[in-house]
Amino acid sequence: MCRILVIDDEEGVRNAVKRRLERDGYTVDTAESQAEGLELIRSQSPPYDLVITDMVMESPTSGLEILQAALSADVFSEVIVLTAYGSVGNAVECMKRGAFDYVEKNIPGVDVFELLSMKVRQALERRRASVATIRKIEQYQTSDR
Amino acid sequence: MAIDNKSDHPHQKCADEAELLAWLSRLVIASSSADEALQKILDNAVSSCGAVRGFLAIVDHDRGKLDIGYVSGEGWTEEKRLARLKASEETGRGITSLVASTGKPYRSGNVLSDPYYVPAFDDVRSEIAVPLVDAYKRVRGVINVESSEYDAFGDRHECLLRALADLAVISLTIADHRARESALVEIGMELNRFGDTDELLQRVIDVASEALRFEDCSLFLIDIATDKLVLRASRGPLAKKIGEATYELGEGLTGWTAKHGVPVRVSDPPSDPRWRGRFEEIPADEAGAYMAVPIKIHRGVIGVIRVQRRKSPYKWLPNDFTDDDERMLSTIASQLGIALDNRRLVDQLVKAERMAAWGEMSARSAHMIGNRVFAIKGDINELEYLLKEQKIDPDKALEIMESIKRGIFLLEEVLNEFREFVKATQLELEEADLNELVKQAVEEGFPKRSPTKLTLNLASGLPKIKADPKKLKRCFTEIIENAINFQPEGGEIKISTSLADARSKKWLKPSQQTGDYVQVRFEDTGPGIDLDKKPKIFNPFYSTRAKGMGLGLSIVKGIVEAHNGTIFENGIPGKGARFTILLPYNKERLSKRARDVAPQQT
Repeated sequence: MCRILVIDDEEGVRNAVKRRLERDGYTVDTAESQAEGLELIRSQSPPYDLVITDMVMESPTSGLEILQAALSADVFSEVIVLTAYGSVGNAVECMKRGAFDYVEKNIPGVDVFELLSMKVRQALERRRASVATIRKIEQYQTSDR
Repeated sequence: MAIDNKSDHPHQKCADEAELLAWLSRLVIASSSADEALQKILDNAVSSCGAVRGFLAIVDHDRGKLDIGYVSGEGWTEEKRLARLKASEETGRGITSLVASTGKPYRSGNVLSDPYYVPAFDDVRSEIAVPLVDAYKRVRGVINVESSEYDAFGDRHECLLRALADLAVISLTIADHRARESALVEIGMELNRFGDTDELLQRVIDVASEALRFEDCSLFLIDIATDKLVLRASRGPLAKKIGEATYELGEGLTGWTAKHGVPVRVSDPPSDPRWRGRFEEIPADEAGAYMAVPIKIHRGVIGVIRVQRRKSPYKWLPNDFTDDDERMLSTIASQLGIALDNRRLVDQLVKAERMAAWGEMSARSAHMIGNRVFAIKGDINELEYLLKEQKIDPDKALEIMESIKRGIFLLEEVLNEFREFVKATQLELEEADLNELVKQAVEEGFPKRSPTKLTLNLASGLPKIKADPKKLKRCFTEIIENAINFQPEGGEIKISTSLADARSKKWLKPSQQTGDYVQVRFEDTGPGIDLDKKPKIFNPFYSTRAKGMGLGLSIVKGIVEAHNGTIFENGIPGKGARFTILLPYNKERLSKRARDVAPQQT
């Protein structure tokens, strides 16, 4: 079963995201700060399949640091960045560096939770595909020998 | 003084006159007002000359008239005083008018055959009149004494009266200088006071015209947007047109002054080619002396102050403005220029700071509100899902509703903080008792059952302050709540009030330090504030608590500063926080009231 880590400094945000994703059948852990998030990412084995992180926490670039840590723990980890008003610039930077996507927390008239649920599904899809490709390459390489 | 037999003993007389002049000189120097000295000078002029009566007429340059200011001797009534000069003034032919217009003494040994004499009292046979001539050779007045004998006045009398007239001029000049000095001091103080600019301009105009007897005085400032002179303050009939009357730069005498940055002084404005007469305090046919000075600062002319007089009804009495008048008005204009420029800079700074605060504020609040709305939308999403799937049980639904309510409450809290932040500086002032406010704040903000121990130490007999009681109490409760929150295991809060001591007053801005202040101090036994955090605690959005947006102490600071007070924190980190609020009280006002009360007590 897919394991997801949600990092946000607002309790209300963490709980709402966790509840929605649990409804989809995922296992969800939460962290309430960049520091706690980094700690969990580094200590997990196997690593999280997906990390959803707030962009701005202790610093305006908290999201970037989480991304870096997640990718160095497992290069196939997917990361979705949550952004609030005004932090889209940094979120785009995250995508350039390998994040799956970013989701704005407040889009008028849009049920962001359904959007997030969809993005999560797509991200995990991509992860599965990447992992499968690698497996095949590995198999090919082993059978080649 | 042996005045009676003076003509028999010339030497004795000389000594007496020397003594008289010495005594009057001292009086002129020592008198606090010119009135006393001038009256004494006239009384002695009458008695020393053996006259029956006399008067001292003063030239009113502003209105171009000669008024009998002081009378002495027999037979005067108010009616006589008012009528005495009227007839002669109108023709310009009376002895007093003649002396005023020529600036030379005049003696008449037999008034009955004198062409200049206009009868007023039946018993007059001879008369002598001496002008009061100032350093600018302007006639300031006339001393006039009358005798019931023919040929009563000789060279010696004229000589004495000239000396007395000079003393009178000195006395008038001293009074002028005093008035100018106090006007400059008063204007200087007005300029330092903060408040509405238009009010300030009007005050300056009022003080200047009262002290300098400029009947009609107006102030124009250049509007940056339109590059026109706009009337901003006026004394006289133009007051109705404040904000409406405008001149192009270069238009009329006023515009000319603004364009060229130099003063203008003309005695007959309508005859000047630059004159346009668009907005005049005085109808053109009555317009007399005119003077305009530019208000200049480093970057150029920002306005014009101008004064105008009615044309003197008597040709023989010119009422032009003097060099002294121009110097005085220029001094006021330059002080005003500096003050206005200073205000502009302060306004800009305040605006810039406010803009920065607003930028920060909108970013913060958007973040705060965004997250809370996100959480509420999550609850609604869940509720919708449960309803659609028919998986809902009432307890679960209520739990989600509760969460939505909490979310909305948090939003409202943000809104509230917003409102308080904005309104912190809008005060509704009333007379208040600091101790009373502290007691009420404790009543409202200190929980009934608390592990925290509260000690109040309120000084009695503190002077009343001008305060917005609601807002000030809000400050006190915020600090009390902070103190309680930071020592959840219980501890102690000490609140004390007193007059501000010298050490506390060091925290005030230099410009505030001369004032009188009361203080209230809050000390707790919590963790205190780390040295590196101390400079930040009053910044907006600086918060170590989750509640609200962290505006609490910045609102407190805003409120205290709006009261012209200050707040500082100087507790020892690790031992507790210590907040002190200083609030000004008006010593002058209080001591004046105390004086008012005193006679009733005795």
